[in-house]
Amino acid sequence: MAEKLISIRKLKISIPKEAQIICEKMLSDLEKSKRPILEAVKASLDNSFYNAKVGYLTPGNKKIRTELNVSSVQKLARTVFMLEILLRNLDIGSVNTKRELYYICKGLIKGDGKLKPLDFEDQAESDAIIDFIGDMLEVYREELNCFANDRGGQTYSQQLVVTETLSDGAKATIDLSTLGTAPYQPKNKPQALKLKAKKKIDFCLIVESEGTANTLQAMGFTKRNKCILMGAQGVPSNAVRGWSKLIQEELNVPLYFFGDLDAYTLQNIFRTLKAGSAASLIRNADFSAPEVRFLGVLPEDVKKYDLPHYKVKESDPSEARALKKAKDALENDPFFLDRKNKGLSDILKWLLKEKIRCEQQSFFSVDPKDPIKTEKLILEKIKHKSFV
Amino acid sequence: MSKITKSSTAEYFAKNLQQVGFSSPLKAVLTTLKEAVDNSLDACEGADILPEIEVVIKKVGSGSTKNTDLIKISVEDNGPGIDPDDLAKVFGEYLASSKFGKGQCSRGQQGIGISAATTWAQLTNAKGAFVMTKTKAMRKAVKGQVDVDIKSNTGILKNKETVDWPKKDHGVKVEFTIDGRIQLNGDGGLITYLDGTVLVNPHLTLKYKLLDNEPIKIERVSTTVPVVPESTLPHPHTFKLGEFITHATLFGKINLAKFLKTGFSRISDQSIKDFVAKGLPKALLSKSITALSQEEFKKIFQAIQNTDLMAPSTKSVLTVGEEAISKSIQRLGEVDFFSVVTRKPAICDFKPVVVEVALARFKTSQLDADDPVQLLRFANRVPLQFDKSGCAITWAIESVNWKTYGLAQPKNSLPLGPYVFAVSLVSPFIKFKNASKETIDASEELVEEIRRALMQAGQKLSRHIKKEFKEADLERKLAHIEQFGPILVEALVRITKSPATRRKKAEEGLKKLLGRDSKDAIADLEEAQSRLDMLKSKDAKKLGIDEPPQEGGSSTLEAASDNETKIEEPSETKADKKAKKKSKK
Repeated sequence: MAEKLISIRKLKISIPKEAQIICEKMLSDLEKSKRPILEAVKASLDNSFYNAKVGYLTPGNKKIRTELNVSSVQKLARTVFMLEILLRNLDIGSVNTKRELYYICKGLIKGDGKLKPLDFEDQAESDAIIDFIGDMLEVYREELNCFANDRGGQTYSQQLVVTETLSDGAKATIDLSTLGTAPYQPKNKPQALKLKAKKKIDFCLIVESEGTANTLQAMGFTKRNKCILMGAQGVPSNAVRGWSKLIQEELNVPLYFFGDLDAYTLQNIFRTLKAGSAASLIRNADFSAPEVRFLGVLPEDVKKYDLPHYKVKESDPSEARALKKAKDALENDPFFLDRKNKGLSDILKWLLKEKIRCEQQSFFSVDPKDPIKTEKLILEKIKHKSFV
Repeated sequence: MSKITKSSTAEYFAKNLQQVGFSSPLKAVLTTLKEAVDNSLDACEGADILPEIEVVIKKVGSGSTKNTDLIKISVEDNGPGIDPDDLAKVFGEYLASSKFGKGQCSRGQQGIGISAATTWAQLTNAKGAFVMTKTKAMRKAVKGQVDVDIKSNTGILKNKETVDWPKKDHGVKVEFTIDGRIQLNGDGGLITYLDGTVLVNPHLTLKYKLLDNEPIKIERVSTTVPVVPESTLPHPHTFKLGEFITHATLFGKINLAKFLKTGFSRISDQSIKDFVAKGLPKALLSKSITALSQEEFKKIFQAIQNTDLMAPSTKSVLTVGEEAISKSIQRLGEVDFFSVVTRKPAICDFKPVVVEVALARFKTSQLDADDPVQLLRFANRVPLQFDKSGCAITWAIESVNWKTYGLAQPKNSLPLGPYVFAVSLVSPFIKFKNASKETIDASEELVEEIRRALMQAGQKLSRHIKKEFKEADLERKLAHIEQFGPILVEALVRITKSPATRRKKAEEGLKKLLGRDSKDAIADLEEAQSRLDMLKSKDAKKLGIDEPPQEGGSSTLEAASDNETKIEEPSETKADKKAKKKSKK
């Protein structure tokens, strides 16, 4: 069964072999009374690099070293314990969510008194170990057969046809035009999907608010336009990021993101969609869509369409934090520091200066009597290349 | 126009008993007990007798008022006894006191409390106080019932009898049967009161039996009767003009200079020169004070107020002392650890005051870690049990940042944890917010003085808390080695499919590696333990205890004995050493 799972990418290493090497090294160090060390990629902004040609954040050379001592012995024992479970899953072709792995560990520990000290108090503890193993082997969690229960954004299209390879190798073909008002929402395994356009697709629109995406759909957006319409559900999950990447790779259509005009959307939502995040450095290659453009709300739209907007309340802790983060991003985030993204960093600067925010839904205020005014404005913006 | 009538002091208090601690059935029982015990302790101290007090409280029926029980409160002491001729006055007349206005740190001050208790008994049970007394000079004891004649504020002794009081050379026994309700624990509880009294009176042997509970006897831990210092002359800066003039009438026909020098403390020849410089007409100095006009008095008074004077003497205050509190605290239960601070007497608002603080955690504590600490407040060695929120002591505790000392503390609140915070204030002039003496008025200077004492005690306490935390941390790490080492090796062997020989070798290697860590840790632990033992036996010797007391408490006995924040050298724990070693690396 194992070989039937479609791989996410062509891995340069074999996970079981790599794990064997690491464990062998640890064991032989111990035999020599030498302290074993585990190294993992440091997943943080100070170890993030941005290359405009690649288009996403990549890891630098910084590593997190865990040397065996009285404090770290628990983490090392837990790591090897979890690794053994993951290797077995790979071997027998079993997949699990993080929560399932948490319970698998719990079960094993319950059944063996000697393992009791390993017990996890909550799932966050076992999740951290799984992430550490991924960063240590430099592989995706999905490559360890561990899948999160997140889904790609709700997607509508009259042209898109998806062919899914199931775990037993069987194929399922989904023509999105036949789903009626129901959206297509792929699971977080975009690697098992093949995309085809029945007719030429002009663009893909990713809307920050799923509600707004659904409104556009309800008003016939995909009927009138040869496009893919997707809701991003706020900060894009791995599934949304992987799904967007797949659309970019396989269909070669322009991608536009439509969301709020505020610091949080720009640096947390849009940047993550376009270039990945510092926390997921090793997976940004397959989980970001560097071609996606920021369609708005742009600062010029506020003026042009006289959009309702309001002042950022600096007394509000979350908004004050977003502003501070924006300032930090302009100084330290390699994505915003790169010249290629000057247009985006200019918007951040503008936001910091003006201290206002304008939501995507403000487009609906322009002409409430026209039910498809927002659609018209979006199309107008695409037509006039009013995006960054 | 309605007729103006004059009423007696007794009438006033009979109508306003809530002002002196009889505002509820619950408080009535506690106040009655408190007044009787205070009087006994003051009497014993006055006669240089080591007090032995026996308290019995029981329910004898239902009360005459709604929702009350009939409670019998009996307090017997071994004090000097009261002359039978004075019985009626002491128990039945308001403001009849041997201590009124004396400026001493006695528990009682005005002579209201016990008469109020008699009144309460009379009002709720139609019978006053039953008293039995015997002085050294008497062969037999005299007993009787004292009632208050409310109209005339006089005591009446009824049913006087002469009886034998076997095995008692001298002492007083007083019984009140009143309407009330009983609460044993908590802020207003009887046991809380008795425990508090035990804590600040190390020289007291207390026996008590409450309701149907087993009788308890707590022996004294000090054989020294505290000497209540004589009052000192008043400081002119504590006076108001009216008081100043009244004070002058006590001195008869003497000249002003002499009056100032003999009637007040801290006035010297130099001070008088200073007064003149500040506007006191020189000619008045030789004038007799009986001949001074009000205008002249005002001028004199103003000049004195505008002149800097030496702060009043602090000789009139007394302290329980760190050593005595340290011993006394162990009478309340098995102490886990504690820290005690006695400040040097200080002047707050021109009045001498001394603050003592004891912070303790008991092994048998029922207190919850998430609840605020239990606060015991004392004024002149009397526990204060009600209305803590407005009290200077509470304010001072809330103003300290206890987080720095390792205790959790919600904003502007008492810290949390299973601790007892005892704060005692002694001063001949404690300013209470009410006549029932439940709350100390909070002046800025007083709060600051209490705060300093608390911070000193907090610093000592934090050493224990931090040490405990580090100890636990180290233990956890040591346990880690034993627990996780074998699991790690076994899993590695399984993954690499290695033979048992490799497993054995790796286990030995691991043992060596982690053994180095644990060996260091164990050595540190042993060293810390031996240091702690040494310190304990040193303290035990100091306290005259054969066996070292309990874990933790001893090392805090090194007291900060002056007003500067002085902290004992901490014993270097193994955890501290570990940290040092780490930082060296």
